[in-house]
Amino acid sequence: MFGVTVRHFTQADIPVRTALLRESRFQANLTDFAVVAEDDALVAGQRRTIEQEHAVKRIFTLCGPNDQVLGFAWITSIDWRSQTCELSFGVLPEYRGGFGAIAVAAAHDYLRTELNMRVVINQVLEHNTMLHSAEALAAQQRVRCPYDSYTVGEWRTSYYWTTTEDDVRQHHERTETRRREIAERIRARRTA
Amino acid sequence: MVETTLTDATLTDTTLTNAASASAVESTCTDIRRLDPAAAAAHLRAAAEAGRGFLGLDPVTQNDALLAAELARMQAQVFRAGDMLLGSVPNPDQPRQAFIAATSADPEPLRILLGFLDTRQRCNSFVAMVPDGAACAAAFASCGFRQVGVLRDHRYQSGAYQDVIVYHAESGFFASADSEVPCSA
Repeated sequence: MFGVTVRHFTQADIPVRTALLRESRFQANLTDFAVVAEDDALVAGQRRTIEQEHAVKRIFTLCGPNDQVLGFAWITSIDWRSQTCELSFGVLPEYRGGFGAIAVAAAHDYLRTELNMRVVINQVLEHNTMLHSAEALAAQQRVRCPYDSYTVGEWRTSYYWTTTEDDVRQHHERTETRRREIAERIRARRTA
Repeated sequence: MVETTLTDATLTDTTLTNAASASAVESTCTDIRRLDPAAAAAHLRAAAEAGRGFLGLDPVTQNDALLAAELARMQAQVFRAGDMLLGSVPNPDQPRQAFIAATSADPEPLRILLGFLDTRQRCNSFVAMVPDGAACAAAFASCGFRQVGVLRDHRYQSGAYQDVIVYHAESGFFASADSEVPCSA
């Protein structure tokens, strides 16, 4: 399976992320503030995050197996003492689907194993099924918040849920169980 | 980003070289260059695993801007000797004491740095806080540092808490006959 690596967002990444901020589905699914922002303001805001906002916001670049930029993840609402933060994603249009779920897992893994975050807050607008199916969203949401955001001319309902250490452990156990089952099926077929 | 060469001719110049003693010890490089904070941050990132814990910093969890800002805040001096990075930070409560860091097991560049700090910056006490298992521990041991303590579970990295070993050396214990701070004027 191909891997996704997480690295710090740099000034060289700003043009790619600025273009993403202006992309239509990004604006509908996350935020459309870039519509009314000048290019210079978008660049200045991202530079400020790189240089000054380490305590309250961090952006990371998600890279594919050839170090190509797949998209970005960023954390906000950081509470270092409680070890919690909110995690957001923006995957470039050409990589949505294939790398999306792996990129999400890589970002969660980085926050847990390097930044020592214990609880990660997820928020997805109800109509956004780019990284989660509608069924999965409905199943895992803990808070449903109507009129949460106004993007591209519509009020949006938002789903919130948390990912805890127990969630991660259970996910790893399910993945390992599936892996073992598949391996046993393959072995059984070979010996048959 | 700026690299300057340390010379021993004046305190403001910048190259410490050790050509006279290079043949007497196994060393990959004895030419030490001082890095400005931005260059030091870039080299720390390039050092990969060896850069983690250097002067308490971590390129995996801190971006270059934050690394540079922290180095400036600590008044750190960072030097490059080939692929090896060396660092010193003055102890604000004891100006004759410096915290020392290194990224490899090569003792000779470290010995030169200690000589420079001793001779030119009047340091007489050196403390190194080294992540358990780090290769640079061998360099400190070779330069006369003694282990004086263990900070249990002092840092978090790669999903686990990690011990940090505390080493100490005093002026005079690290110098060898071959490694007096020679100078290129």
